[in-house]
Amino acid sequence: MSKPILVVGGGPSGLAAAHALSSVGQRVVLIEKAERLGGAPILSGYAKLVPSGEWAKDAIGGMVHRVQEDRQVEVHLSSTVKSFSGAPGEFNVELADGKRLQAAAAILCTGFTHFDSLNKPEWGFGTFPDVVTTAQVEQMISSGKGVRCPSDGRKPQRVAILLCVGSRDRQIGREWCSKICCTVSANIAMEIREELPECHVYVYYMDIRTFGLYETKYYWRSQEEFKVKYIKARIAEVTSDGEKLIVKGEDTLVKRPITIPFDMVVHAIGMDPNIENKTIAAVFGVALESHGYLARGNAYANTAETSRPGVFVAGAATGPETIDDSIAQGHAAAARALALTRPAQASA
Amino acid sequence: MPIHEKSLIRPENLKTHEQLVVDGVDVSGHWSTFIQSRVVTDYNEALQEEIAALPGGEYIHRCWQCGSCTNACTVNAVNPDFNPRYWIYLVRVGMESELLRDKDIIWQCVSCNKCTYACPRDVAPEGVMKALSHWLELKGHTRKSPSMIFDEVFTDQVIERGRIEEGRIIQQFFRRTGQALGQDWLIEMGRRLLRRLPLGLLMRLGLAGVHAPRTRGWARSRAALREYVAQEQSRQRRALGLEDLIEGARRDAAGITHG
Repeated sequence: MSKPILVVGGGPSGLAAAHALSSVGQRVVLIEKAERLGGAPILSGYAKLVPSGEWAKDAIGGMVHRVQEDRQVEVHLSSTVKSFSGAPGEFNVELADGKRLQAAAAILCTGFTHFDSLNKPEWGFGTFPDVVTTAQVEQMISSGKGVRCPSDGRKPQRVAILLCVGSRDRQIGREWCSKICCTVSANIAMEIREELPECHVYVYYMDIRTFGLYETKYYWRSQEEFKVKYIKARIAEVTSDGEKLIVKGEDTLVKRPITIPFDMVVHAIGMDPNIENKTIAAVFGVALESHGYLARGNAYANTAETSRPGVFVAGAATGPETIDDSIAQGHAAAARALALTRPAQASA
Repeated sequence: MPIHEKSLIRPENLKTHEQLVVDGVDVSGHWSTFIQSRVVTDYNEALQEEIAALPGGEYIHRCWQCGSCTNACTVNAVNPDFNPRYWIYLVRVGMESELLRDKDIIWQCVSCNKCTYACPRDVAPEGVMKALSHWLELKGHTRKSPSMIFDEVFTDQVIERGRIEEGRIIQQFFRRTGQALGQDWLIEMGRRLLRRLPLGLLMRLGLAGVHAPRTRGWARSRAALREYVAQEQSRQRRALGLEDLIEGARRDAAGITHG
């Protein structure tokens, strides 16, 4: 029997890779650092996913269940890889608890880390309780409690969503666009308007990047059906008058300074490289690209490859990525890993 | 053509003292460019809904500020202060006082509809301009001009009689605008008509002045038109929050106390 393939990370791309491999009879060892599978959508309590509109606990939960029930997938929770050596076809793996195993190949599905808004103190997160992140709003919605101001539980009458928090900002060394926050924010804005029709939602943006088909489904729809308002301004600071949050900035389209009261301010937080990427790069002997994500090989000839032969990568480990594309990349990496373990057979 | 933006430093915002003596020292005049508060401190959230409730303004919330309307605009080419994109934005975010600064030029739209064809989001900016003018009128921000009174006299007569009679329109127009009927040009026209003596026309005009002809069987059409106009006006007033004001005034007049 051939050696198993190591999948590191149990989020959307890791779950997809593990399932894809198992479905063609390949044994898999899945290592997950957290106490449960599912990755960011489950661990951070996302509500309805973009663009399917399905609840994360159903959609990703279904993927988790499928892998948990799969006898060809050996899942290690609360576990990390301590050392990784050898060559394609015969890698030696040691886990943090001292357990050793061999693997034919490895797929890194180590994902990303949500930007920590404390790194932008001028926007009030950590100072004012009613300044929250998109992840927190997702939790308010997915928990069924609804969108409420954390300070006193009241329904907000006016919400500001600030885009590009932890993205496109050289001041804090994050020069990438996190790709999905515009669409997620438009989705959240519509969720708020649906739950609280009296609540006005304003999105403060530099550019709106609801790419591809998300344009009409999220951006246009949020404006046309849900009357969400978009204001082109990068907010200077979020303060408080003791009662309301005060958002200050310049409305660039009319060249006017603005000082507007809000009940709740939402940071559309970006996707940082996984905070452990340096450790991951060292353990697996793979290179990082300039932003700190795992470096990817040539997309045309070397799909899903890292700088080390036999070690593949998928999902947001390589840069901000959508859930759908992470899943697709998990499948692509599975195909590459499989090809490595089962060289093409000579035709009869 | 570049899109015009207003400078924040406006003459009326500059701090000037005609006569200012501080500690016996005369420091009258301009002092650099100290300007009055120019910060927008709140949005009027009702504004967009008010415009959207008026005919033509229905799609204003679609606008994403690309400026296609202003770039295509016939009037903007002549007057760079005429900027539909800018006004649509002010309405969208609720900067009412800013909008009112331009109340004297907003109505200058010539309805060429070049913006309508340029707009990628089908905002129908020309319709929005109509709604804006209408809003200014309903809210009492624009003085009723003689031309508006002429339109009213004209429409009233069409609805009332199913036809128009020039003589009566001119009479009523002059009366309602407080102008003398004895205009020089009118007297001159009458004199020339008399000289040529087109008897038939003069008799018709004269008769029309006294007799006020109607379209036969007009009563039902008139009732339907009146009903529709009343409904529409009431709906628009309600959308603009004017109905309550009128009701309140009526109740106050009737001596009914509130609460």
